[in-house]
Amino acid sequence: MNIGTRKLLDRSFTAVGFTSIMLMALALLAVLVPIITGGIKALYFQGTVEHRTLLFNEFQRGDEAKLAVDAERSEAARKPVYEYLAAFDTELESLPFERKRALESEYHHVRDTLHELLGPLPGDTPPLLLRFQYGVTRWEKAEEELHNLLYMTKWDYSDPTKMATQYFAPRVDEFTGTSLEGLFGYVEEHLEEMLLPQPEFYWGFITDRSLDAHIFGGVWAEIQGTFYLAIGAMLFAFPLGVIAAIYFTEYAKDNYLTSMLRSANSTLAGVPSIVFGLFGLAFFINTMKVSESKSVLAGSLTLAIMILPTIIRAAEEAILSVPKTYREASLGLGATKWRTIMTVILPAALPGIITGGIISLGRAAGETAPIIFTAAVSVGATIGIADVFTEPTPALSWNIYNLASEHEAANEIRHVQYGMVMALISIVLLLNISAILLRARISQKLKG
Amino acid sequence: MGGSSAFVVSAKKRRMQQIMKMTGESLLFLVASFVAVVVLFIFYFVARDAIPFFQLRGFAEFFTSTNWYPADEPGEFGALAIIYGSGMVTLGSALIAVPLGIAAAICLSDVLPFNIRQYAKPVIEMLAAIPSVAYGFFALVIFAPLLQNFGGTILMWTWWVIAGPFLVLAVVVLGDMVTAGEPDEAKRDRKRLLMNGFFSVLALGLLYWVGNTLNAIQIMSGTNALNVSIILSFMALPTIVSVSEDALQAVGRELREGSYALGATRAETLVQTVLPAASSGILAAVILGIMRALGETMVVWMASGNSSQIPDPWFNYLDSIRTLTATIAGDMGEADQVTGSARYHVLFAMGLLLLIFSFVSNFISERVVVRQRKILSGQ
Amino acid sequence: MKMFRKLLLAAAIFGFTAGPAHAGDAIVMDGSTTVGPIAKSFAAYFTKNYGVQVTVSESGSGNGAKSLINGACDIANMSRGMKDAEVAAAKSKGVDPVSHVVALDGIAVVLHPSNFVSALTVDQIRDIYTGKVTNWNKVGGPSAKIVVIQRESNSGTQDSFRSLVVGKKNPITKRAETQASNGAVKSRVASTPAAIGFIGLGFVDNSVKAISVNGVKPSIDTVKDGSYPVARPLFMVTNGQPTGNVKKLIELNRTADGKQMISELGYVNKY
Repeated sequence: MNIGTRKLLDRSFTAVGFTSIMLMALALLAVLVPIITGGIKALYFQGTVEHRTLLFNEFQRGDEAKLAVDAERSEAARKPVYEYLAAFDTELESLPFERKRALESEYHHVRDTLHELLGPLPGDTPPLLLRFQYGVTRWEKAEEELHNLLYMTKWDYSDPTKMATQYFAPRVDEFTGTSLEGLFGYVEEHLEEMLLPQPEFYWGFITDRSLDAHIFGGVWAEIQGTFYLAIGAMLFAFPLGVIAAIYFTEYAKDNYLTSMLRSANSTLAGVPSIVFGLFGLAFFINTMKVSESKSVLAGSLTLAIMILPTIIRAAEEAILSVPKTYREASLGLGATKWRTIMTVILPAALPGIITGGIISLGRAAGETAPIIFTAAVSVGATIGIADVFTEPTPALSWNIYNLASEHEAANEIRHVQYGMVMALISIVLLLNISAILLRARISQKLKG
Repeated sequence: MGGSSAFVVSAKKRRMQQIMKMTGESLLFLVASFVAVVVLFIFYFVARDAIPFFQLRGFAEFFTSTNWYPADEPGEFGALAIIYGSGMVTLGSALIAVPLGIAAAICLSDVLPFNIRQYAKPVIEMLAAIPSVAYGFFALVIFAPLLQNFGGTILMWTWWVIAGPFLVLAVVVLGDMVTAGEPDEAKRDRKRLLMNGFFSVLALGLLYWVGNTLNAIQIMSGTNALNVSIILSFMALPTIVSVSEDALQAVGRELREGSYALGATRAETLVQTVLPAASSGILAAVILGIMRALGETMVVWMASGNSSQIPDPWFNYLDSIRTLTATIAGDMGEADQVTGSARYHVLFAMGLLLLIFSFVSNFISERVVVRQRKILSGQ
Repeated sequence: MKMFRKLLLAAAIFGFTAGPAHAGDAIVMDGSTTVGPIAKSFAAYFTKNYGVQVTVSESGSGNGAKSLINGACDIANMSRGMKDAEVAAAKSKGVDPVSHVVALDGIAVVLHPSNFVSALTVDQIRDIYTGKVTNWNKVGGPSAKIVVIQRESNSGTQDSFRSLVVGKKNPITKRAETQASNGAVKSRVASTPAAIGFIGLGFVDNSVKAISVNGVKPSIDTVKDGSYPVARPLFMVTNGQPTGNVKKLIELNRTADGKQMISELGYVNKY
């Protein structure tokens, strides 16, 4: 073959390898960037006066005096809206029947949208559900609602063989000549004064309980549940894993039994996570009856089994990487084998073991399938530490699934879902990054 | 007297120490064998609840029928379409992840200098660390609408970007190969130019035609086998890359240097010498990666569409499918274990199937690695 | 009203005598995603007004029944009646399931708003769901392949839809995509122009178009007077006649506040 072609092939080969690594980096970015930008919006956004009122009423947070001033300002801006509505209410009564019927359903839309924007209107029965007690809390939602108020979404069905296309018609046209006509222009002009948006850093998203099934409030119950489950799993798996690793590295003879045990370990590592869930259900709950039904304990035990092989492997590697000279020096000084392990090898291997533990902790925190049947509930309050033996808990991983594909208002609370995913990913990645840093320090130290 | 009493004490002490050592070691052994016990328990408890299904319904229906109506009275439990769906997304993700993963592993082990490799490794680790439910969320909320709204365009651009460079290469190589027999240099160059022109036209035609066909595709539903395959390939990649990188590094320097000495380029060395030597290790990597994709639950549950059908035609990746893992997760809600119904047990039968599959592939990959180690150490 | 006053009185007495000492006796609800919003609102209301913790899982009607039979929950939320097999299983475990109608619900058949079709007969819907009709142009719509969306088999809505529309004997087409909840069906339909799905009336909003069935538009009035053909009662099921807090929670739907919550959520009051 031509030498030029061979060189070209060589270069392209390198390029393919390089491109695949770039593609992996891109894949990582493609997943992380939208989730993080979306997640940040759950914490930092343009909050309206409704949001501040909500926080004050439900969590007693915020500056009462300033809130009163804001409320007064916004009330003043809203007053004309209410007057428009009142005037139109009277006008509607005096209209001929046909005209009244024609206008009524559109008027309902107007009232509904205004309710969404500003909260309960004068004349409405005070709503009991929290989600209807406040207007829009986030400014970007307010802008969408404003569009819904000003325009009707219509569909062009003129060609019945094709899917219709969407178009917008100004809603004000329906009300020309009535007393409501001025309302639309007024709301468009003064919406900002009515809602007083200001940038808000809502740290309560992390520490607050959820209100009205995650429509408002934060995700503390889920975060706490995730910690319970992951730490519970570590409590079981970590000591067992380290002891098993000591056995494998220091005591196991090179025989059939040992290789069987090692095979068992890698088999366990390869079991699909949903099968762990099935096992947890069949064994811990239905057979052992560690709890009546789902509980944190059952979930932790299931997760512990899942992360055990990872911990054993990491601990083995850490122990094996302790230089031989350490061991020889200790044995040479007359220490017993056990003493050498406890006082020399384990301390030297500890950072490595902990690194493995941290990574496993992240894995336990992020897994969903094993806890579906053993520990997770969709809506629940935070549980006390004493309840972990009997009570199930919400957890970030499960509730991301639940909110994204089972919640009745999944489309309206995307920001909460993004926030939850970001919280979970941050927990897991922070754990991983600290493990990576720790490992880098160890390898430097071992180099001397 | 003092001497003899000291001797007695030390004998006692030695016996004590001996006993301590024995008990200590057996304790350690017990803990270490805990893992094996757990594996046995998993097999036992999953099988215990799976066997009643086969007693109730036999094997034939489960493996040959595509009628999955577990909620009917009487129910139908044909899992063929579901097994097929699992296989389909696994194959799809392997088709994406295996070439990418092996290329990346080669690049990491043989091409990149050490200081760049240091930055590539955390990327792979992070890709592996992201929880599956986050990938599922991405697939459902971000990727599925994209596919549904711009599916054809995305497919077209993907084709162009991937196939374009490869076709350019193919044109050059083909031109070279066809004209290699010509002894006269000037004539050969002319002929090659002609051939290159000819193949370029063909290649451009192919690029355009396939691109256009793809662009015309309307994806009716973004939650389909393609979406899931792509996301699963992200998840299988880290396993494939790190295990095959280990396998490549296990091939010693001597082999590589021998090949270079014979005048081979780096690509030729890698493809003709290193890859064959590492092939069994890479096979193990592929098996492990595939297992990761097959055993994944959340992504397929959220973004596969969950329709228990064999797509029409059978290779249509733009159709919704349903997998074993998603069926277990989704159907457990109704499975009344109180009545010992086939409905409850069929899910364990699926779990058993997954378990056996993971056990077998794990076994194979382990054997394969052991064999490679033996070959490389020259036994 | 008398009932309501009694309840208030009971609440007041409860509040004074028991106070937070009883706050630990949490009530556990499990079951249907359709009843879920009512259950969650009742739970929040109950916790706020009586200081009793209420946890709600939404894992499907079947799972609710299972939990009740296993004694894992106090109230099973069900969007269908208890099946004979479930009742038998309950009896064998010494559980006596008592169903209480909490509200009525219509199952709205929903399409993407861009679809020209705005009315179908029960027969046409059956043909779509059994796979006999696969293109919208067969039922007077645009030429597009129908994306059929159904619910997971543990769903009571699925169960009711099958018995009310498709017929228990007719299998739903294998092409049908499966979604886990009303909300998921709604968002799938809202984002898929050629889709058809069915959801509880309370979930219908502007993003989807609820069509007339046999010429009747689904609404609170048509469900209440029985003219809308695809409607069913929603249940809360307890073990034996409920007492104490559980009773109070279940009978919330007879109080003015309970009724208001049910209609705010878009369901139909029975009382």
